[in-house]
Amino acid sequence: MSIFTPTNQIRLTNVAVVRMKRAGKRFEIACYKNKVVGWRSGVEKDLDEVLQTHSVFVNVSKGQVAKKEDLISAFGTDDQTEICKQILTKGEVQVSDKERHTQLEQMFRDIATIVADKCVNPETKRPYTVILIERAMKDIHYSVKPNKSTKQQALEVIKQLKENMKIERAHMRLRFILPVREGKKLKEKLKPLIKVIESEDFGEQLEIVCLIDPGCFREIDELIQRETKGKGSLEVLSLKDVEEGDEKFE
Amino acid sequence: MVLNSLDKMIQLQRNTRNIRNICILAHVDHGKTTLADCLISSNGIISSRLAGKLRYMDSREDEQIRGITMKSSAISLHYEKDDQEYLINLIDSPGHVDFSSEVSTAVRICDGCIIVVDAVEGVCPQTQAVLRQAWLENIRPVLVINKIDRLIVELKFTPQEAYFHLKNILEQINALTGALFTSKVLEEWAKRETESQASSNSVPGEQVYDWSAGLEHTDDSHLYFSPDQGNVIFTSAIDGWGFGIEHFAKLYSQKLGIKTDVLLKTLWGDYYLNTKSKKIMKADQTKGKKPLFVQLVLENIWSLYEAVLKKDKEKIDKIVSSLGLKIGAREARHSDPKVQINAICSQWLPISNSVLDMVCQKLPSPLDIPAERVERLLCTGARTFDSLPPETQELKTAFMKCGSDDTAPVIIFVSKMFAVDAKSLPCNKPRPLTPEEIAQRREFARRRHAEKLAAAQGQVPLEPTLVGNTSEICPKKEETKNDEQLTSPAENITLKPVIQEAEDKDYFIAFARVFSGVARKGQKIFVLGPKYDPAEFLRRVPLGFSASSDDLPSIPHMACCTLENLYLLMGRELEDLQEVPPGNVLGIGGLQEFVLKSATLCTSPSCPPFIPLNFEATPIVRVAVEPKHPSEMPQLVKGMKLLNQADPCVQVLIQETGEHVLVTAGEVHLQRCLDDLKERFAKIQISVSEPIIPFRETITKPPKVDMVNEEIGKQQKIAVIHQTKEDQNKLPEGVQVDADGLITITTPNKLATLSVRAMPLPEEVTQILEENCDLIRSMEQLTSSLNEGENTQMIHEKTQAKIQEFKQKLEQNLQGRKWRNVVDQIWSFGPRKCGPNILVNRCKDFKSSVWQCLESKCIKDASKYRDFDNSIISGFQLATFSGPMCEEPLMGVCFVLEKWDLSKFLGQGVTEKPEEELDRGETAVLSRDSKSPTENEQFQDDSPETLEKKSKRKGETLLADCYGPFSGQLIATMKEACRYALQVKPQRLMAAMYTCEIMATAEVLGRVYAVLSKREGRVLQEEMKEGTDMFIIKAVLPVAESFGFADEIRKRTSGLASPQLVFSHWEVHHLLTVTKQVISVGLNFSYVPWRGQVGLDASGVLFPA
Repeated sequence: MSIFTPTNQIRLTNVAVVRMKRAGKRFEIACYKNKVVGWRSGVEKDLDEVLQTHSVFVNVSKGQVAKKEDLISAFGTDDQTEICKQILTKGEVQVSDKERHTQLEQMFRDIATIVADKCVNPETKRPYTVILIERAMKDIHYSVKPNKSTKQQALEVIKQLKENMKIERAHMRLRFILPVREGKKLKEKLKPLIKVIESEDFGEQLEIVCLIDPGCFREIDELIQRETKGKGSLEVLSLKDVEEGDEKFE
Repeated sequence: MVLNSLDKMIQLQRNTRNIRNICILAHVDHGKTTLADCLISSNGIISSRLAGKLRYMDSREDEQIRGITMKSSAISLHYEKDDQEYLINLIDSPGHVDFSSEVSTAVRICDGCIIVVDAVEGVCPQTQAVLRQAWLENIRPVLVINKIDRLIVELKFTPQEAYFHLKNILEQINALTGALFTSKVLEEWAKRETESQASSNSVPGEQVYDWSAGLEHTDDSHLYFSPDQGNVIFTSAIDGWGFGIEHFAKLYSQKLGIKTDVLLKTLWGDYYLNTKSKKIMKADQTKGKKPLFVQLVLENIWSLYEAVLKKDKEKIDKIVSSLGLKIGAREARHSDPKVQINAICSQWLPISNSVLDMVCQKLPSPLDIPAERVERLLCTGARTFDSLPPETQELKTAFMKCGSDDTAPVIIFVSKMFAVDAKSLPCNKPRPLTPEEIAQRREFARRRHAEKLAAAQGQVPLEPTLVGNTSEICPKKEETKNDEQLTSPAENITLKPVIQEAEDKDYFIAFARVFSGVARKGQKIFVLGPKYDPAEFLRRVPLGFSASSDDLPSIPHMACCTLENLYLLMGRELEDLQEVPPGNVLGIGGLQEFVLKSATLCTSPSCPPFIPLNFEATPIVRVAVEPKHPSEMPQLVKGMKLLNQADPCVQVLIQETGEHVLVTAGEVHLQRCLDDLKERFAKIQISVSEPIIPFRETITKPPKVDMVNEEIGKQQKIAVIHQTKEDQNKLPEGVQVDADGLITITTPNKLATLSVRAMPLPEEVTQILEENCDLIRSMEQLTSSLNEGENTQMIHEKTQAKIQEFKQKLEQNLQGRKWRNVVDQIWSFGPRKCGPNILVNRCKDFKSSVWQCLESKCIKDASKYRDFDNSIISGFQLATFSGPMCEEPLMGVCFVLEKWDLSKFLGQGVTEKPEEELDRGETAVLSRDSKSPTENEQFQDDSPETLEKKSKRKGETLLADCYGPFSGQLIATMKEACRYALQVKPQRLMAAMYTCEIMATAEVLGRVYAVLSKREGRVLQEEMKEGTDMFIIKAVLPVAESFGFADEIRKRTSGLASPQLVFSHWEVHHLLTVTKQVISVGLNFSYVPWRGQVGLDASGVLFPA
């Protein structure tokens, strides 16, 4: 056993520990903070950027290195680097408060971005900026839930924001072409799903150009396919009905 | 003559000959507003003690705090000279560069201007600018050299030194005037030259070149400033004195017994007085003789200052008594020498007299408006006066006559709109009521009360009272108080909100001048916008049409309105007027709806709009504005609209990103606009940020050389291929990449396979696409209407020709093996179906190209696959809308759909319906690339019904699909395919670029270059402006670097260079490269909001977070 004196110890600072239990033994590796998450998400590829040292420990804070026979019995190999990789991918990390914080912030911003992307000001048909949405989200004291997807949360945020400001999901512009026979009947069924009918044309076929809430798209698509047995068609004219180009006040 | 009554002013306004419309122009802090104060105090509007301290014309709070003028404002003054009474419409203007637009508005409605120059600082950049502006507007200037006291007190010059200093300043100004004059003469000469060349082409005989350039033939002596011409005076506005040499000439002619006109000529210049012979001699500098000006004028003033500053009581008394002045006891005892000087000098040499004397003598009255100026005002753009319709040319005489008879057409020019609080409008001011009014009102109220009672009893209809009422509602508060006692409470409720609303609202008043005719309250008049063309009107409407008739056909840029209120502008105050005779400056109320910033008003529709105001500074400082509380967006938009109207120079726009952008002339201007927005127009909290910088994503050709400029050989190429193979591991399953970047991808339900390749478009093609955006959009509309079988709508021939031309251009630029037939195969443009990216379909039987509309026949067959077609196109649109790097739109990318295999998908239908007779050929129709076109056609005839049956089936299978509807899958797959296709190519970001035009003098050229290179600008060209010492530099500058650029360049060059920025193009930024999703950055990217996709680490490397 090595003698534990100040001269021969290497102090590791800024350490994040990744733990794993295997074969009744506990193994730890010493990593840099913030980097473990990056490794797992695949952004960081350089192992040396993640690991402080390639050795596997029993206890990082005490500096006790794992014994070779333990490693072999647990992992079937004594290649430290290989084992480090395994522990890195499968072990449990304690997420530091900073990491959690940045992650939440990231999500917050992601949500704002999605909202800004999907919504418009119904009066001007222009999108809101991300900064404005972020501020609005803070105003309504929205708290991010880390275990829900950002898209889901964005939809929730839109609902809440509607109470405070003029915001609406950007409409989708669709064109239906329906056979006349089913047309009339179908139109009644479609009506509640459509926001604005822009043009309607009875010719050989019934053609409708309309704006819908993007949430109803699948419903409408299914309805048309089912009712017309594939004869009717539906075409997306624009995914987002927003004002284009810059506008000068005159 | 304390407070000229309104009647007096009205009377004076009628005498056009004695009206002077003048403005005060100068560099910032040269004493314009102080001078104005002195002139105002002469009329008793403010106390003479406060003159110079009050800054009466600076009515805004921030003007008072900052001590600079920010707007031009007018006041009417009365002056009496030699039994003649004059009306002087004085306009004070700001001197700061940021507000030079306000100077333009002032100069336009004046006939003359006072140029003020600081005796210590001399000629400054803004002095040059205002001189140029006065010159361009063709108005006559006079010069005031101000702050002479500083030469005595601060610089401690001797009179002799001061004389040379003043002479120097005068020479500088005259040099500037000279330069303006030469450039104008040269310009005119050049114009004449080209004209004569055009005509003399047929006469080849004359080969002698005329070197004279016409300069020698033009007389310019009347232009220059010289004290002996009487157009220069020396003042100290803060001490309240000023003089022209005329004053002293008169004084000394009595004393010395020399004729006044001799003295007038010799008092300025190198002449000295031979005391022995009492003769004036031409001076000889070497003899050290003092010039007359020093001896007779400056020394007296110097000795006065000396006496007062040294507190030499006896000497002061002596001077005072010898000048025959009376100094009040309070001033005489005052310990501050400034007060004493002020008291003595303002009596001895009152500044207002000397300045206004000169104004009345030297500056023209509205009657003397030069013909040249009239012609210039009336000729918009490049047209010459002679080319205007005869009716319009007739107006020139009206201008020159400035007649006030009823037949004269009324011509008014509105140079700006300004907002005033409703409270300060004269009609809203509490004023004493005349007994008749009170009686009338009481009667009125009583009647209404009676009616109320009647109405309560039996339903007697409420009649006309209400009509009469409305006009009475808004004006006076106390009136309503009176009413309140009598009227029922219900009535009160309706009255109150109206009043409050009226008080909150800002009224816009037009700052205008009558050029001809009499403007009357309630008169109907045409409002002519800047683009109005009188010829258009004359063509449509028969002659002899008057403004009163209502059945006017609508003519572009023209409206008809009523002059609701006319005001006399008295600085902060407004006075109601009934009519305004020609040649006067006035305020007009009630034009808010009709006039945006400036306009021409005329009773005759044949009047052309005046040429637009000539702005020295164009708005360049851009910021994004947002409300603090998102719910206040509507107020912000409303406020910004009002701001736009109130400020001649600001630009307001909403960008595609939804940002509200404010473009101002400079930082100080910006601050003022924001204050206005916060406190006046929007009344909400706002936050300001730098606007989002747009980027574009694109791809480039693979590099031919490596980083150290060595050619990449075969081996390295192989290495690159290996690398891409490695990259493939990253790609998810189901995506295959081959060596030259063809991506093959299958939908999640494994039924359809797409093969897509991305290629960079040549730059010219991208440019053509951008230019023809509108055309592409109309093509798209045509195609869709054709598909519906609406052949009735014929394409306009012009459009067709345009489309043809567009197609040819594309073909010209897309040549070579790689691009063969590509133009015919273009399927769609993107994003939004009209952008600078192309989708090409290389499948063999591809028919529905964008050029369908040219053939103008419907292709029925296409509709069968339309479902799939549309899905693919939608996928392409999505992919081009946001690129893989940082979700910015793509630009200049061509996606080629090489293969499109739906066989499996349809095959599924086949296997499920064995009883249907389906052979292999049927499926081949759908796997479009595998069979020859002829074969396809063969099948097309009988395919519809089978297909239909199949799609019935399809509908059911689709619903069962766990991956959602097939069309959706196709969209997503296409999008993914495009993205991967991009990622295997060298990706680049494109930065938006400004072209930047900088005017600078030679001495600051170096600094301009320094600023440009620091901000990654590239100089394209540099040339000297003919006849001046100005250089014009053209450069390009990334938008990302443009924040603070204007400010920096102004600071570094002390205001001698002013840039103008205009968006020009997108440029591939080679420092912004993306390899393996890591972006190394050359630009300072703290500006870029990557929308959370990319972060910035300490070393300045961007990485996707």
